[in-house]
Amino acid sequence: MTPAARFTQVALAAIPPIMLTLAIPLVNREAPRVFGFPFLLAWMVFWVAVTPLFLLAANRLGRPR
Amino acid sequence: MRPETLALTIITVVIVGTIAFALLSVRKLKMDPHEFIVGSRSFGALLLWILLAGEIYTSFTFLGAAGWAYGKGAATFYILAYGTVAYCIGFFLLPPIWRIGKEHGLLTLPDLFMYRYGSKTLGIAVAVLQFFLVVPYVTLQLTGLQILLTIAGYGQYNSTAAVSIAFVLIALFVFTAGLRGTAWASVVKDALVLGAVLFAGIALPIRFFGSPLGMINHVLQVHPHWMTLPPPGIANAAYTVPWFVTTILLSGVGFFMGPANAPAIYSAKNGETLRRNMIFMPLYQLVLLFVFFAGFTALAVVPGLKGPAADQSFMLLMQRYYSPAALGIVASAGCLAALLPASTLLLGAASVFSKNVLGDVFNAATGDRERTMATRILVLVVAFLALTLWIFFKTSLVDLLLFYYVGITQLAPGVIFALVWPRVGPWAVGAGLIAGECVGFYSLHNPIAPGGINAGFYALLINAAICALVTLLVKKKPTVVPAG
Repeated sequence: MTPAARFTQVALAAIPPIMLTLAIPLVNREAPRVFGFPFLLAWMVFWVAVTPLFLLAANRLGRPR
Repeated sequence: MRPETLALTIITVVIVGTIAFALLSVRKLKMDPHEFIVGSRSFGALLLWILLAGEIYTSFTFLGAAGWAYGKGAATFYILAYGTVAYCIGFFLLPPIWRIGKEHGLLTLPDLFMYRYGSKTLGIAVAVLQFFLVVPYVTLQLTGLQILLTIAGYGQYNSTAAVSIAFVLIALFVFTAGLRGTAWASVVKDALVLGAVLFAGIALPIRFFGSPLGMINHVLQVHPHWMTLPPPGIANAAYTVPWFVTTILLSGVGFFMGPANAPAIYSAKNGETLRRNMIFMPLYQLVLLFVFFAGFTALAVVPGLKGPAADQSFMLLMQRYYSPAALGIVASAGCLAALLPASTLLLGAASVFSKNVLGDVFNAATGDRERTMATRILVLVVAFLALTLWIFFKTSLVDLLLFYYVGITQLAPGVIFALVWPRVGPWAVGAGLIAGECVGFYSLHNPIAPGGINAGFYALLINAAICALVTLLVKKKPTVVPAG
């Protein structure tokens, strides 16, 4: 596995955790409502739901170590 | 039939039926330590999924997540996020942990410390820490069990006796069946819990508010800002954004450090099985959304529960508005969600003690048959300790849970550095661990530190920093490096 591929892999897997932690101060709000859900809850549900896609993409780059 | 008799009969039938099903599944196995503790390292993706999912659906999630939605609002959303953070870390961490375990016949997390850092003392320290920290965590499950049995008994029975009987039953079950039996019992448990949670999160809001969205609108009308975090700086606001973010990070990093986790990791057939589980496990977490809905609905329908009583939220609503049969089925799902995680914890703690304390310190019970027997007896010993602690100190459980998380998460730097930084040695890890535990336990009287940050997070940072500092200061010398 090349260092570049390795970096991309870690970066891909790091995106959902960053969205679920460091991004929280920016999304701690009720509006706009998404399908009726308060924005904060909709944001968190969205990122948990798409995490498998990011991990699948990371997995395709090769086996980590 | 009286309502409490019907509800409790259903619970009894479900628990006994689950145990019988699991015992049938493992009846032909010959027990040696590798089968009893890590299921002979043979679990495929599906059985492993069910075992790992058990980590999510404990009685804390079943009652606690709803209770937090009821009593604290948006703070409860952290429970949705920390598992996902943990799986993203586990995607990289778990396969190498599994491979080292497979190559060197490791059974427990202290084994990993002992092997990687070449220090018996460090391994034993980790073992003792894991063993004693597990007791409050099991105790917490017993309190969850008591809430369920009290509500299902309509207050007519002595729930302390009922909890003791259920717990002794599950301890005897682990004694007999080992890890594989627990995994099979989790098949029944997961199906029931999934059904109960979907029912509570969808049927309850529909019955009282027409739809989950109707329920959300109602809650926000009565309790404005209930589904956002309080901004920092507001007086007495404990669960602010900094707390939320640091708690997710802390719980995510510490997720796999408990005594039940390493055996679950080692039980996998191969690293690929683990990786696939990490990829898809976040989807299963989404079910927690319905637990939140159940808690919010209870807040709107049966308001007024204060403090720890909030944990009864939607079960109390079930008791008041639904038939004893429906209550019994949902409560039995909850009972399994308390008993089965408790059983893997009992097994994990007993394995750690028999392998790393009896075996490595006293050189006792090292043969296959003796070690299996010692582990079995220790299962009963830990169960007895937890039950005693629970009977005498029921009230201070929130402190005990914090104690567990702060304590167990301090093992994370040692595990992570073990895999990514070959230069780190036993002294560095030991120094970081001691500093982290001291800061963590000292800060327990005020779990929310300056800046609104979770105090355990400071402890973790100090731990990692001291570990790194000692590593850079001591002279470089060759250490055992796991093949990369």
